[in-house]
Amino acid sequence: MTNISRLKNKIIAKASTRFPSFSKRFTDACQVYETHGEIPWAPLEKELRYCKLALVSTCGVHHINQEPFDMNDPNGDPSFRAIDLTKPLRDLMITHDYYDHSDADKDINIVFPVERLKEFETEGLIGKLANTHFGFMGHITGACITTLINKSAPTVANWLKADDVDVVLLTPA
Amino acid sequence: MGLIQREIERIGISTIGISIVREYSEKVRPPRTIFLDWPFGHPLGEPFNIEQQRAVSVKALKSLYSIQEPGGIVDIPFRWGKESYSDDKYFEDLKGIGILEP
Repeated sequence: MTNISRLKNKIIAKASTRFPSFSKRFTDACQVYETHGEIPWAPLEKELRYCKLALVSTCGVHHINQEPFDMNDPNGDPSFRAIDLTKPLRDLMITHDYYDHSDADKDINIVFPVERLKEFETEGLIGKLANTHFGFMGHITGACITTLINKSAPTVANWLKADDVDVVLLTPA
Repeated sequence: MGLIQREIERIGISTIGISIVREYSEKVRPPRTIFLDWPFGHPLGEPFNIEQQRAVSVKALKSLYSIQEPGGIVDIPFRWGKESYSDDKYFEDLKGIGILEP
């Protein structure tokens, strides 16, 4: 994808965020993957104050020293980045051309509410906040959807399970 | 996002997703969703509006228990730019968040 295409994506993203009617037309035009059959279901049978929580976000968050998400593949980037909470928050950044993240650049919590969950942990509302969280890029289409469903998402799910996470909060862009 | 959520739930972890495009959630069908009619890039609200971000987070966590059917979507009635996240309302919401509902 050329720099002109990336610029076009950024202009559409800005317009979609600032003008809701434009955003409606944009989302209507997007091909959304539809699922069929049974929906996975794991009821929460533990009180929140005993639960370990983790965040998974498709806002394009990653550490500054990690490889940014690939913005040149029109199908998106189905890979993920592990976010280490023991590192300072100022170490985080967003790579994602398909939405206007200028507000999220000022305060990451509007897409990745890690400081709010940290407060809940201190206040005893939740048992524990995991040290490792996961950043994805949204806007995945075409063949990359198969990679996301069959490879990246199960890898992250297994990681969270091994980390004894009880609850995952997912946030979009 | 919902596709990732489904794979995490499939392995046995309870999940709750925040959505700002209801049509996407209806088609992707993640296990549990709260929906806010808010602009892209702002699922938790405005920068540095801590009470607002906390209010949305609390709604999400409470919905982990209140959604009883797979694919359930809870519409959160917060209007963009028109709500005050007053202490009273906020603390009311916090009540019982750690308690399993019957």
